[in-house]
Amino acid sequence: MTRSRFVLATLAPALVVLGLMAAVSTAGAVWLSLQNRRLSSPDADFVGLYNYLRLFRDKRFLNALQISGLWEIITVTGTLVVAVLLAVLVHETVRKPVWRNVVCFAFLAPVLLPRVAAAFIWRFLYSPSLGLVNWIASLFGFGPIEFLADPHIALFAVAAVDIWQWGLFFAVIVLKLLETLPQAPIEAAMLDNARTWEIHAFITLPMLQGPLISLALVKAVESLRSFDLLFVMTGGGPGTSTETLDLYAYQSGINLGGRISYASAMSILLLVVTTVAFTLIWRAGKRWAR
Amino acid sequence: MTTKRLLAGAALAALVPLGAGAADLASCKGKVPSINVIGQGMPAVTTLDPHLKEFNEKWDTEVKVTLLGENERRAKSRLDASTGAGAYQVLYIDEANIAEYVASKWVYPTADVVPAEYDLGDFRVDLSNVAKIDGVQYFAPFVGGGDVMIYRKDILEAKGLPVPKTLDELAADIKAVNDPDAKVYGWAARGQRGSGMNVWRWTPFFRAMGGEWLDADNQPSFNAEPGVKATELYMDLMKSAPPGVGTFNWSDSVEAFRGGQVVFLIESDVFGPWMEDPAKSQVVGKVGYAPPPEPLPSAGWAHGWAVSTVGAKDDCTKLVAGDFVGWATSKEMEQARLAAGVASDVARVSTLQSDAYRKAVPQEYIDALLATGPRTSLLIMSSPAWPEIGDNLGLALEELFTGSRDDVKGALDEAAFAAEDSLQNLN
Repeated sequence: MTRSRFVLATLAPALVVLGLMAAVSTAGAVWLSLQNRRLSSPDADFVGLYNYLRLFRDKRFLNALQISGLWEIITVTGTLVVAVLLAVLVHETVRKPVWRNVVCFAFLAPVLLPRVAAAFIWRFLYSPSLGLVNWIASLFGFGPIEFLADPHIALFAVAAVDIWQWGLFFAVIVLKLLETLPQAPIEAAMLDNARTWEIHAFITLPMLQGPLISLALVKAVESLRSFDLLFVMTGGGPGTSTETLDLYAYQSGINLGGRISYASAMSILLLVVTTVAFTLIWRAGKRWAR
Repeated sequence: MTTKRLLAGAALAALVPLGAGAADLASCKGKVPSINVIGQGMPAVTTLDPHLKEFNEKWDTEVKVTLLGENERRAKSRLDASTGAGAYQVLYIDEANIAEYVASKWVYPTADVVPAEYDLGDFRVDLSNVAKIDGVQYFAPFVGGGDVMIYRKDILEAKGLPVPKTLDELAADIKAVNDPDAKVYGWAARGQRGSGMNVWRWTPFFRAMGGEWLDADNQPSFNAEPGVKATELYMDLMKSAPPGVGTFNWSDSVEAFRGGQVVFLIESDVFGPWMEDPAKSQVVGKVGYAPPPEPLPSAGWAHGWAVSTVGAKDDCTKLVAGDFVGWATSKEMEQARLAAGVASDVARVSTLQSDAYRKAVPQEYIDALLATGPRTSLLIMSSPAWPEIGDNLGLALEELFTGSRDDVKGALDEAAFAAEDSLQNLN
């Protein structure tokens, strides 16, 4: 057996199982989305594209689309900015390997925390009357700030928790990437009296363009799965100010009137939009990284 | 055939069902490996834990209680029954979803599955009425009741204010005692969206203004003047509430009161004993109880367990699940809870009349309960469409309470418009 055949033979069972699971659930969702099935009744009629067409007249859906986009931008950008800044800071200030490892371990802790647990902890920390964050703010004469009850800041408050979990984790990855870079260009820049920030802005970070784009994509996919964090911290509120597409699909399909077909249409649309968007971003990123 | 033979035959025929019943009981032991139960973290549910061994041994089974939050357990029950999954044999039901469950035939009538030895007639009438549709009871309640006004006696005395008897007096007192600089707020209430959250607490205000859910043509009418006036008053009172009240759930309100930050709270009466728990309450001994000020009605509610038609199809599973419901809501279990210091969840008349209960709660609380009883009824819409209608209304109210929008009439109009669809979909 040749090497490529061996690889194919060993991968095939897992790929078939994964493919079947994805195909069955997607086909089921498509079939449901073409009906008017509700959880409260076993009867349903075929309604064609009605659910899809209705979505574009649904103000709450359009709002959820907008919130999802905003959530992606805030969390992906925030995570990468925090990761890069912290990685550079640790790289430049913590020289001893032992201390670096201690810092890395501390940075890994938030992401090891289950999302639901993190959400509950931060919900309490944000409490206007009993929370630590507001207590600290009050020492500086601010507050009480209604982090999760103010529609203008709730999304940012939840995004901060997401960035706290993933930004620190990504900082460890970026730090390890920085450590693996070839030293010659950096030493050459130092001989030319380049400042530290100039070395990173013009040499190290451009060298890490490829990995950073990959990290951005990984985070973008992960951010789409932030249902648990948003659900526990705000439930989509106040009002619909933090209601993303997955939350609205859940509210429509399970929590509200059990409009499971309508929720399926929403999920399929989300699948199509994200697949197309990520393919385009991936291609653009690859071209840019060349 | 002789008379003797006829009599003997009749007697034998009469004994057959008894024999069959006994055979079922005996033959089902060990035949049902597990009973899955959907639960919510109410004391009546969480205090079952140490007693489950007794039930498990009786049937040689294993009871597994899945504890969920209020909205989550509603979603889980609906999903389990509607999809035909039937992973749960016992479902947790309340006043908000009983109409939907019965219309969808997801639960058995209680008397069909719970043995008569558990004395279904001993349940409090106000609770079992909530558990009934067209005179048939569908769940065995273990907690419920109506509303009670909970207030800080010490603060009212210090301010020289009498206990308010009318809604106008209450509104004036809330503003008079509100002192944010001292972190003392006049009022707390539910703001978080949900048919069982903000809508539940808003509804007595809506009803007090003369509001009706549907008009003569069965069209939604909660967006009419009473709805607008009730919302405006609720929002006005929220100005004298702790920060973040716009997204408060009942737990946030109760904890704010127990933390000593709130003077007036109108909440479900089960929370009365919560205020008297020295381990968790900072206001023990400072709390007074009274009926909600007139003309506020009292929102009747009940939570309980029912046997799922989807999860308990065969006779043995039905038998064991029904026995679990009867056992978990029995007189003996309520006495065991009282002995463990839990006086909040009482669903049986015999418990209310017991000495143990009278020792466990202040007399003033019992007086308030008795005075509120006649004003207690189901205030929400009794319709399978209610969860959807209530949740849409809850969203509109939360938007108003948190300042996402300020047009009260417009928000209620949108919720009423959505309710038309929900009602239409029932047909």
